[in-house]
Amino acid sequence: MFKKILFATTASPVCDNAAKVAFDLELKWDAELIVFHVLGIPTHGFSPFVTDVRTGGNELADNDYLDWVKEEMKNTYDKLLQDAEKVTIEAAIGMPHREILRKARKENVDLIVMGAHTRPEDVGASRYRSVVGSTMQKVAKNARCPIAIISRPCTTCWKLFSNIVVATDFSKASEAAFSWACKLAKQVNANLHIFHAVDLKATDAGLIKAQEDIEACIQSAREKIENKYLPRLKGFENHTVEIWEGAPYIEILKFARDRQADLIVMAHHAREIDPELALFGSTVEQVVLRSACPVASVNKLDKA
Amino acid sequence: MPEGTLCNKKTIDTQEALHALLADKSGKKYYEEMKQLDVNATVLWGVIRKTLKSRLRTWLEICAHCGMCADSCFLYLTNGRDPKQVPSYKIQSTLGELVKRKGKVDNDFMHHCMDTAWSKCTCCNRCAMYCPFGIDMGVMFGYLRGLLFSQGFVPWELKIGSGMHRVYRAQMDVTTEDWVETCEWMCEEYEEDWPGLTFPIDKPDADIMYTVNAREVKHYPEDLAEAAILFHLAGENWTVPSQGWEETSLAMFAGDWAACKMQVESVYDAMKRLKSKRMVVTECGHAYRATVVEGPYWAGLKTGKTPIESLHYVEWLAEALRTGKLKIDPSKKIKEPVTYQDSCNYIRNAGLAECAREIMSYIAEDFREMTPCREYNFCCGGGGGFNGIGRYREQRNIGLKIKRDQVLDTGAKLVIAPCHNCWDAIRDMEEIYHIGIRWSFLKPVLLKMVLVPEHLKPKDE
Repeated sequence: MFKKILFATTASPVCDNAAKVAFDLELKWDAELIVFHVLGIPTHGFSPFVTDVRTGGNELADNDYLDWVKEEMKNTYDKLLQDAEKVTIEAAIGMPHREILRKARKENVDLIVMGAHTRPEDVGASRYRSVVGSTMQKVAKNARCPIAIISRPCTTCWKLFSNIVVATDFSKASEAAFSWACKLAKQVNANLHIFHAVDLKATDAGLIKAQEDIEACIQSAREKIENKYLPRLKGFENHTVEIWEGAPYIEILKFARDRQADLIVMAHHAREIDPELALFGSTVEQVVLRSACPVASVNKLDKA
Repeated sequence: MPEGTLCNKKTIDTQEALHALLADKSGKKYYEEMKQLDVNATVLWGVIRKTLKSRLRTWLEICAHCGMCADSCFLYLTNGRDPKQVPSYKIQSTLGELVKRKGKVDNDFMHHCMDTAWSKCTCCNRCAMYCPFGIDMGVMFGYLRGLLFSQGFVPWELKIGSGMHRVYRAQMDVTTEDWVETCEWMCEEYEEDWPGLTFPIDKPDADIMYTVNAREVKHYPEDLAEAAILFHLAGENWTVPSQGWEETSLAMFAGDWAACKMQVESVYDAMKRLKSKRMVVTECGHAYRATVVEGPYWAGLKTGKTPIESLHYVEWLAEALRTGKLKIDPSKKIKEPVTYQDSCNYIRNAGLAECAREIMSYIAEDFREMTPCREYNFCCGGGGGFNGIGRYREQRNIGLKIKRDQVLDTGAKLVIAPCHNCWDAIRDMEEIYHIGIRWSFLKPVLLKMVLVPEHLKPKDE
């Protein structure tokens, strides 16, 4: 399931939790791991200068500089590299999301592992925050493979996962999320919890849904799950179905806590909101920021 | 040491030579070698006699030193009105001297010329608007750059830039394969959101042949996707050439005349090969100047025109909005105060000011002109290669103050800058002076407000 993994890192402590997961996957799934860092943002017009993503300073990016950064990355991941066998370290210049997508496409990876956000004590935190926030969203929107976003320490090895929550809104992208979650649950023999939240759209002031409307929505969602998903789980008994109502990201988080989820799998909604405008806008990002466990965003069927 | 291994009179024509030059960080060795570089006065004078035609000779002679050009120059204004920044002085003390001395000049003088030609003039041509005789110092500096290049006195980055055009026919190391692959990639990435989106390569007899800036291909392919989406929504029959797609010319900034010709000819060949009706170039200023305004002369086209009609992106966009090919959702127009950076190369030097106004009238509710504006606008502060030369970074940053004050005076927090160099200069200006503004090309702004016809909307969910 994971033959080749791309770990897209800021090469700073922000991504330490993600690093542990990435290296663990390399080890336990015997996968190839590419540790990849995008270091500088180039200009639009003619200029050899790039803006260093971490410091905001101007750098003249050339091969020397790239080599130096790669050397630094080796030092950063020194300990993790000791047990690793199939790891390559690479760095590139460009817009982070674009270079991550380019690399994932070129290497045809099965999974991208990313950290989610930064810590305030980090150098250039505010700059990176905006870059990383939108980087994660843009990668999640366009990547052909699943993205695992790790923002908190994840101590459970993926092979030992016992509870996987898959949140669906019945979109095409959610199909992919379901397929992949299903495959993973079968492989590691975890419980699969299929979940849908009826969106009560708290923002639509004045439009309060009547209880029977909500119940009708829940009923119809249940039917959809029964018709769409359950037939595909034949022979795999460890699953539950649950439908709640509210603001989807809150309900997903509550449900994940309730089931002691090791992983939340969901689709990232491309057209839900403009990633440039809404740093914390989409459901997936809200879940990522608050979730205690890793979140996998799956949008496309290619690797699902 | 007359000729250095890196700094010399030879042009860069191979990948090896290009890599050797790139490996010299910041051009340290290159500039060291330049200090020893001999001037070949005989050859230089020979070139001057052959290429300095009556127009420039007259300009040099009739300049009355009246000083009317002084206040027109943003570098004069931002450098404490230093008399050495008066355009007429700048050109007389360089090209004027060179001609007077019949090319018999030394290394120090050539250094002085280089530093003046690339750090005290962006070839924005604003001074020509104010000279009572119509003398255009920008044109003359462009010419001087050519002479300097031929003798090896050219900033390191631009020697590399012209070499890129010679080796790759693009300003960056983007091969035909890279280009085609990037187009396919963008199509793959966006076709789900935009059903029916295609990226037609080498399609013959299309209505539009689209050409770009290599930096879009290398670093910002979204720009290509945005262009494709807007053509798609407008129902255009368009294509991109697999070869001859690069419209920019660092060779023009460098003064490498031969490479200028090679570059534009690659685009003209594509026009002839694909037999498209019209060419549209991306939101880039100098690209338009190089390929549409100056290029035909470099290529020796008697008409002074490109083989097919050529449009800047703002011309196409204004037309698409005017004719209703693209329709704007009125509720999504820009509501906040917004201003527009008139690029020297397609506004002052090609007269497209009205197109820009027309576009703004469709997309903005509170459009505010800079003062001065249109043909009289100041250079962004980074044109003519100024943005990209490490040696002159400080001088460039000082020059940006004029744009800072112009933008502040409008009260707008958003600047539309449909030119790659202007975009950069404005971004750098914000990073240095922190005036709290945002800036954008037109394509992303348009995509947020354009009406998508029902049959082109994605059908899932």
